[in-house]
Amino acid sequence: MAKKKNSYSMMMVVVSVLIVFAIIKVIAPYVFMILLAKDHTMPTPSTLLLWYMVLAISASLVYVSTSDLKWANFLSFILPAGNDKLKLLFQKMLVISIPLLVGWFVYSGTVPGTASPVELRIQHPTLLQEFEKMENPFANADEATKRRCIEEGKHLYQQNCRPCHGSKADGNGPFANAFRLRPINFTDPGTIATVVEAFAFWRIKEGGPGLPATSTPWDSAMPAWKDVLTDTQIWKIIMGEYATAGVQARQREEMEHE
Amino acid sequence: MSKIKYNLIFRSFFICLMAAVFAVMSLCEDSAHAAQLFRVYKKDVSGKIPETSDAIAAGKKLYEIKCYYCHGIKGDGNGSDAPRLDPKPRNFTRDEYKIRSTGQGVLPTDEDLFRIISSGVEGSAMPFWNTLTPEERWQVIYYIKTFNSEFKEKGERSEVSLGGGSASSADSIKRGKKLFKEARCVLCHGEDGRGDGALTTTLKKQWDLPFKARDLTHSWMFKGGNTEEDVYRTVTTGLNETPMGSYADYLTDEDRWHLSHYVKSISHDMQTDVVLKSRLVDGNLPSGPEDDAWGTIEAVELPLAGQIVASPRFWTPSANSVRIKSFYNKENIAFLIEWDDRTNEQAETYSDAVAIQFPTKIPEGLKKPYFAMGDSGNGVELLHWKAFDESILTAQGADDIETETDGGEDLEEEETYDDDAGDDEVATEAEQEEVVVAEAAKEEFKGFFKIKEMNAKGFKRLSVQPDNSQNSLGKGHWKNGKWQVMITRPIFTADKKLDVQFEKGKLIPYALAVWDGSNSEIKGQKAISSWYYLTLEMTTPKTVYVYALVAVFMAVCIQFWVVARIRRFPTEIPSK
Repeated sequence: MAKKKNSYSMMMVVVSVLIVFAIIKVIAPYVFMILLAKDHTMPTPSTLLLWYMVLAISASLVYVSTSDLKWANFLSFILPAGNDKLKLLFQKMLVISIPLLVGWFVYSGTVPGTASPVELRIQHPTLLQEFEKMENPFANADEATKRRCIEEGKHLYQQNCRPCHGSKADGNGPFANAFRLRPINFTDPGTIATVVEAFAFWRIKEGGPGLPATSTPWDSAMPAWKDVLTDTQIWKIIMGEYATAGVQARQREEMEHE
Repeated sequence: MSKIKYNLIFRSFFICLMAAVFAVMSLCEDSAHAAQLFRVYKKDVSGKIPETSDAIAAGKKLYEIKCYYCHGIKGDGNGSDAPRLDPKPRNFTRDEYKIRSTGQGVLPTDEDLFRIISSGVEGSAMPFWNTLTPEERWQVIYYIKTFNSEFKEKGERSEVSLGGGSASSADSIKRGKKLFKEARCVLCHGEDGRGDGALTTTLKKQWDLPFKARDLTHSWMFKGGNTEEDVYRTVTTGLNETPMGSYADYLTDEDRWHLSHYVKSISHDMQTDVVLKSRLVDGNLPSGPEDDAWGTIEAVELPLAGQIVASPRFWTPSANSVRIKSFYNKENIAFLIEWDDRTNEQAETYSDAVAIQFPTKIPEGLKKPYFAMGDSGNGVELLHWKAFDESILTAQGADDIETETDGGEDLEEEETYDDDAGDDEVATEAEQEEVVVAEAAKEEFKGFFKIKEMNAKGFKRLSVQPDNSQNSLGKGHWKNGKWQVMITRPIFTADKKLDVQFEKGKLIPYALAVWDGSNSEIKGQKAISSWYYLTLEMTTPKTVYVYALVAVFMAVCIQFWVVARIRRFPTEIPSK
């Protein structure tokens, strides 16, 4: 029973797990805000947090149990502290906080709280067959016609799409806040830049009501524009929309290569 | 041998315990808050370049790609999008610049223009142009200045001094409140600062001038920032070409600070929450919209947008947000819906109104009816309160309410659909029950009128419920630019096919729509919200505390057992 020094490795484990928790819960939202250039914090999803915590705890426990020495050191924290005041303090803290934590979890688990509504993730629909073959009638037009169409399209975009999708096509129009499923930010390279023009045509023409049943979360406020806009106008809007957002539509050739 | 086994058990025990603790911990997420992204007035200016003809030429190019759709090719604020905009785009040929640091009637400095271009204007189509580099922004500014020759001729545009400033205090706010009246701010901004002053309504009504005094209670809608410094600047410089003049000569610096503190004190931020909690009360529900009991609970504020889903679409709604609170008791649920409306002018066609929408059936899964008036598969129920109806009924006296409110066949678009056979049976049963309910309701909700309950399965399929299943009551109250409407309905009704049943503890989707009659809003011309959730809060049963205490006790026992085991059989530290 050679107890040469007091080991704090259990305290270390607790502290490091708490640090990981703090990083994921508090710091990560700000880091991702900066990395992704958003103007709001990006809270870590709770399921992700859960898995990271399970990983962190398992990892630290695996670490302390890699050798008998480490394991013995780890457990030795619970042994009588003797004259070590600091250790005694930590032991008290641990002994008090664990039952309290358990009690709090049981309380918060059983108290009839208000469940948070489940918010489904956006499930991108697949382009319907009838739209798949559609071609922009101005795709092969001469440069002057194209430029004219883009200009007309930009005017139409500003008149019809701007209230929600914004003057800059950044999904931040004056109405954007009212829709909990926010209007799409077209300047984001992950949105209209990843689809072919026919896809945009379908979305504008049929809107939210025309989405297939599989595309969650069923909250799209996108109007079906077929009631007031002609097909030609919609194609022009698409050209204007891509120009306003400063992105290119995905080309059909690319799709065939895949 | 047994030591090793013992160790193993301990290790796995620890791993399981800790993992379980954190599993619970991370699943305990607080309720979801909706994030609003409002534009804020940013004061920093950077990267100024010299004003050269090259810069102006480059600015012209940018202007004709980014700006002219609203501001017009000639800079006169008459671009192709202008008809659908409210507020209107700035006309650069005139000196109608509002957000400035210069005196009244003086053009803004270049830095002022840079700030507004970088910040955008909340509540309008003007975005924040962070997508342009500072250099590009300066180029555009130099081009914009060419629209108004006065920029060149008048030369120096000196800033007014905006220094000083004092911390806000109760005294300062009190003095500010007094000044708000003395300096005649109330004439335009109204008694409570909701922009409902006599002058504002007269300007609109008599001369159809588009000046709307700012609603000073909505802090997110302050143009040019909502800090006390920003308010002070606006009071000092005034807004060019509007009734809002400069108060630099009229009030001392100190008084303008007091005024700013007061304005700041009456403004509030938008407090949105996805879930509205209805509070349980033991006795009676509040007796009306003005009841003090409403003051004891927090409101949820929902942002609104014009109805853009079905044509004819509506681009310029008057209401920007709506607040809602809720109480319930054993029999009834009550909602207090509040929104700011500058006028209380009701006519038969154009009347102020509010509707609260629920799915006819609380959805079992995650799929809700379409947020705007439902869809053919999933219907919605609407409780529709209309100021004009109430004013008529008030005039007629409360005696013959019942006979007058029944029916309600003044909806043109409606297309009554027979729900199913068997309605009649339900109806007869319902009638008897309703008599009882009506008797009780008369006692509790004095001065309330029956409001219209409707069902919809899409914009074109709207129908008023039959007389015997109309069981909602409403009462409105307009004061100083604010509507407060209390709507109440029995929690459970006999007509389960047409009425939503408010079950405790469930998440019930709800949405709101607001009409402003003086803005010619009617039917589809309205401000709407997305789906939010209502839940009837439950009281905490005592068993919960017992469970928690038992858990603590058990945790203590296990913990001390573990500690005792370890202390009794300490793991030997290997000597090497």
